[in-house]
Amino acid sequence: MSQYLFQQLVNGLSLGSLYALIAIGFSMIYGIVRLINFAHGDVVMVGAFASLAMVQAGVPWSMVAMLALVIGAAAGMTIEAAVFRPMRGASQVTGFIATLAVSVLIQNGALLLLSGQQRTFQFPAFMRQRVSLGGVSASMTDVAIIVLAVVLIAVLLFVVYRTRLGTAMRATSENLLAARLMGVPVNRTILAAFGMGSALAGIAGLMWGGKFGQIDPLMGAAPGLKAFIACVIGGVGSIGGALLGGYLLGMAEVLFVGLLPPEYASYRDTFVFLLLIVILLVKPSGLFMRHVEERA
Amino acid sequence: MNAPLLAIEGLNLRRGATHVLHDLTLDIRRGEIVALIGANGAGKSSTLQAISGLLRPLSGRIAFDGPDGAIDLTRLAPEAIVRAGVVHCPEGRQIFRSLTVRENLMMGAYPRTDRENLPAELDRVHELFPILAERAKLAAGSLSGGEQMMLAMGRSLLSKPVLLLLDEPSLGLAPQYIERIFDVIEQLRSQGATILLIEQNAAMALEIADRGYVLEHGRITLTGTGADLARNDEVRRAYLGDLG
Repeated sequence: MSQYLFQQLVNGLSLGSLYALIAIGFSMIYGIVRLINFAHGDVVMVGAFASLAMVQAGVPWSMVAMLALVIGAAAGMTIEAAVFRPMRGASQVTGFIATLAVSVLIQNGALLLLSGQQRTFQFPAFMRQRVSLGGVSASMTDVAIIVLAVVLIAVLLFVVYRTRLGTAMRATSENLLAARLMGVPVNRTILAAFGMGSALAGIAGLMWGGKFGQIDPLMGAAPGLKAFIACVIGGVGSIGGALLGGYLLGMAEVLFVGLLPPEYASYRDTFVFLLLIVILLVKPSGLFMRHVEERA
Repeated sequence: MNAPLLAIEGLNLRRGATHVLHDLTLDIRRGEIVALIGANGAGKSSTLQAISGLLRPLSGRIAFDGPDGAIDLTRLAPEAIVRAGVVHCPEGRQIFRSLTVRENLMMGAYPRTDRENLPAELDRVHELFPILAERAKLAAGSLSGGEQMMLAMGRSLLSKPVLLLLDEPSLGLAPQYIERIFDVIEQLRSQGATILLIEQNAAMALEIADRGYVLEHGRITLTGTGADLARNDEVRRAYLGDLG
């Protein structure tokens, strides 16, 4: 494989990993409370700034990664307990507006506290080296993002599909009423889903910062929107769909940049949204959904 | 003194703007099958939902004399009511379609702490409904309506009911399944289960029930043994389709 192709592949996988991590949380939250959580991207921002603060305070990197998960989870669980839970049972439009409000609140709170200035976010020197293997090379950061994402996704899938808590989450997502009749404490289960999904967003913030080198209080908008698109491509509410949608979107973006003449490269989002529109026209329920979900 | 297992007293319930239950009073003794019959909208399902905590009554008591002593269910959340031993098998089956058959059954056992007994009880459910063992790894949504009903009942049994609330178990099922479901209800009674049964098929319900209550517009209008009600002229006219 030529270095050029390999580099494109690594770029696509690394970007796709970030989209997938964020999209999974989006999808889990939608699945269980039927709300598009527009504040999910802002949890990415919270994860990034919390990581920066910890690095500046001298916390070792491995610890920062662990704590980014914890802080992301805490942020998501706070949003659920403070905003979504009191509004449970309200109409979808109300919930939709509330998540927008939370997003604006977090962004402006961060602007107030941190100012709108861009901060430099640098991974330690060894992460910025290149690793070579059989004539091709890639940046350590990208490799680390890809590997870490695979590990985290594997852990998440194990919890969701192989544990009692995960089974309760899937049951609650599908039929909240029946889950209550089975004795599932639904509020705690919903809280756990927010925590797990937001933990992935938190650590995605750390990786996003390290990959692009700069963070700011409004940085959550782009990953939030891309993750939402990834979910729509894959089929909203399905974890597998979010996963595949995330990787597909990452690869597609890199492909557009690679294939298009350089003067069009900055229009890559235009092509991404064109792709989205085409997919929605052809398969409105998402590429990986077998049927439009039934709700009793 | 043999206190009833469940005693509902003066229950009033509102659903939206409608007052659906008026001073409802009924009791269920240990080991009985009690049938609740009535027209659509008479308040049968609302009664079950009040017992299982899905609906909060305006007033009244629902006293349950279970293994943990006497408690008032109107004060408890649904998950606590299940743990106390009152298990509601809801209308329309409400199985988890995307989960496997086995996962659905394990959801029934969700709140239990005596998990060491589960394998034996799972075997027992599989004995009652062999099809559930055969289909264990398939998505529950792929089962036929009758199989889904068996799954819903099996799931409820794994919740270890002291009192089982069955809402329209025969609704929309083919005759051979209806017979099978009623066989199982009989079998459960012979093992000492206590059941509150709602059925649109009033004839079958009264045949199997020890006692019955007739609910009209949210009020109990008649009560008696299953056999007495089945002979009652009013009941025959209104619910058993007897024109003579």
